[in-house]
Amino acid sequence: MHLASFIARRLLQLIPTLLFILIMVFALVRLLPGDPASAMLGDRALDADVARINKELGLDQPIVVQFVVFAKSVATGALGNSITLKVPVAELIATRLPITIVLTLMAALIAVLLAVPLAFVAATRRGRMADSAVRGAFQVGLSMPVFYLGLILLTVFGAQLRWFPVGGYGDGFLDHLHHLFLPALTLALSLSAVLMRNLRAAIIEVIDAEYVQFARAKGLPPGLILLRHVLRNALISTVALFGLSIGTLLSGAVITETVFAIPGAGRLMIDSIYARDYPVVQGLTIALAVLVSLTFLLTDLVQAWLDPRVAR
Amino acid sequence: MKFLSIAAFTSALILGGHSAVSAQERGGVMTYGRYTDCLFLDPVLNDANVDIWILTNIYETLINPTDDGLGLEPGLATEWALSDAGDVVTLKLREGVKFSDGTAMTDDDVVWSLNRAKSPDNGIWNFMLASVDTVTATAPGTIELKLKYPDPTILSALSVFNSAIMPKATFEASAGATDAEKAQEFAKKPIGTGPFMLDSWDRGASMKLLKNPNYWDNGADGQPLPYLDGLTFEIIPDDATRILKLQSGDIDGAEFIPFARVAELKADANIKMELFPGTRVWDIIINVRPELGGNPNPLSDEKVRQAMNYAANKEALVQVVTFGVGTPLSSFMSTTTPMHSGDGPLFPYDLEKAKALMAESGFPDGFKTSILTIAGNQDDLGITTALQQMWAAIGIELEIKQVDNASRTEQYRAGTFDMRTGGWTNDIADASQITSYFAYSPTIDALHSGWKNAEVDELFEASQKEMDVAKRTAQFARIQEIFNVSGPTIALYETPYPVALGSKVNGFVQIPLGNNIFRETWLAK
Repeated sequence: MHLASFIARRLLQLIPTLLFILIMVFALVRLLPGDPASAMLGDRALDADVARINKELGLDQPIVVQFVVFAKSVATGALGNSITLKVPVAELIATRLPITIVLTLMAALIAVLLAVPLAFVAATRRGRMADSAVRGAFQVGLSMPVFYLGLILLTVFGAQLRWFPVGGYGDGFLDHLHHLFLPALTLALSLSAVLMRNLRAAIIEVIDAEYVQFARAKGLPPGLILLRHVLRNALISTVALFGLSIGTLLSGAVITETVFAIPGAGRLMIDSIYARDYPVVQGLTIALAVLVSLTFLLTDLVQAWLDPRVAR
Repeated sequence: MKFLSIAAFTSALILGGHSAVSAQERGGVMTYGRYTDCLFLDPVLNDANVDIWILTNIYETLINPTDDGLGLEPGLATEWALSDAGDVVTLKLREGVKFSDGTAMTDDDVVWSLNRAKSPDNGIWNFMLASVDTVTATAPGTIELKLKYPDPTILSALSVFNSAIMPKATFEASAGATDAEKAQEFAKKPIGTGPFMLDSWDRGASMKLLKNPNYWDNGADGQPLPYLDGLTFEIIPDDATRILKLQSGDIDGAEFIPFARVAELKADANIKMELFPGTRVWDIIINVRPELGGNPNPLSDEKVRQAMNYAANKEALVQVVTFGVGTPLSSFMSTTTPMHSGDGPLFPYDLEKAKALMAESGFPDGFKTSILTIAGNQDDLGITTALQQMWAAIGIELEIKQVDNASRTEQYRAGTFDMRTGGWTNDIADASQITSYFAYSPTIDALHSGWKNAEVDELFEASQKEMDVAKRTAQFARIQEIFNVSGPTIALYETPYPVALGSKVNGFVQIPLGNNIFRETWLAK
């Protein structure tokens, strides 16, 4: 019961958050210099054409009226029509956001698969060669710009070794995964460095704790001690960090999607901001806000499972 | 009426041209890497080059621009005539033309398409057909345009993308109440008479076109064009990735190769590095209003602008920014624009002359000013940092302001900028479009610069009604003379379109107006 009320409470908290985001994004896109018609028509636009198109888009209406139209479009889930692409925003998000979600999930998975075992190696061989090697390698991963790292991976594993496609998104689910691996790895490397350092420190803290020494004294097998007593407790802070990093991963996807030519939501967002495509920017921001909020909820649930005190 | 019987002449030209080319091979799908996707596949309502430069593969016009961008050749009309008074155009339609869905193109489709294109309520290109009063089919297969006034640009205008012929019945059957709504539906599955038709479109990722099985024209082998079975556009925004994909053989061509990579790709034996002559000009636009933000504007002083022009070493900019690919401009319009005049570079670099002009100007001690550039644009940054140094030599301190495009456009339109980087490509094979925006003040205040010259305005208005080619050429020559010396720009250089193709690709051309023509493209096996 505890858990159910915890989830309900958190979902209720989501409502004011989303309302706040709704108002913020509506105001922020309109505070940007320029307007959709002149962004769309460019330098050659004639005043009459700009005025006519802004009128067609309803942008000559009072701001309150525009907000009501926007709020209605959110309430119905349709989110309006894209100004530049002339298709429903909901349709655009439905085709492009899943790509970014899969990319982010893959990156998260790779980051965990890299960070957890290596953190163990580094923590249990503290100060020795293996520890220094792991930490040194990750330092490089952390300090390399994403677009540069991406281009190197593309050149080596794509163009030269031909293990992976040179960018693009492919056709069919397995082909998509094949195309997404290198960009996911690019995103994962810097995240795994952060996670690895955090987890290593947490393991070191826990590994000398009294209850672990007690378990050892009882003669429990070392593997079991590591898994049940060390990892479970060390993971609590890392899971929180991991949850917070999802937002960073999503923003990293913008650059990765450009370098790897992936038609995800990150590129859509950038293009729409440049084009002052208000409905798309608004719709996508709300969709991303929901996504990040749900991730935080999920993170909290995992933490609650690891440490029941969190849910109280 | 002087009927130009172009059909016979052209068929001779086509046959002659083809015999020189090696045997074309048929089949295959060509994949072309583009930096960004199309937005809206409607010839009338679109507003960006990303659409315009592709549209002619799907929709066709009655008259086509020639590959060199200077002349006209038959399209969906086989011959045409302009009355001696210049106010009636008569066109003979090609027989047996079908749309990609198999229905025949009718006189009604042509009349309806041109009426839609000229309607002031539709899109931003209707000005091209502003002179057209009525469009009627006077006899089966004969279309007559009555003009409100003699228009020397009307034939060129009929070769511009917005005059493309669309199927009236299918368009009107599309869902939606208004023309704009129907266009949105129709453009999802566009139907035209062009050599290709849309098969599928995965926005932001790829657009797949298939050969139009009903295309009217034949190739050199006597079989219907196009040679390709299909054409796929892949969207690869990152320049380095686009090139890498071409080099690894994943795609057959890549557009917008950065100038910095041209030499390297020229040296690559597996790549054909093409530089198609363009109408692209690069310049600096100067706000010449006497006051800016309440202060006197030094840039309004003609001597100052001439000093800046002499101090800007265009040859050096060509080397530094375009890696030798560009050519210094000899007029504000490109040499590929009909009626371009001027030989030799404008204001060849001369620092002493620049200093002398500054000393004579109202600002002998120099001044501080700024320039708006697009953040992240390497060409812009290269040009402006070089100019910063060059103008420091004549006492001008230049602040580079990097903003995003929409922000720059806002300041530009408001006329509150000092200077900005500028660029232009023609949409029509005529000098009038660029002149109207650059020099003729009623259009957009001469590039929103506030520059106004009564003689230029008068000459331009006269040129829009002048049917005598020699007289019209003289009018444009005089406009260019005035603008080039005292106008509100620093003319930098013109550049071709850098396109890299795989070694198997033949017969592709990008014409000076920018249109990508895949009609006669073929892949060697």
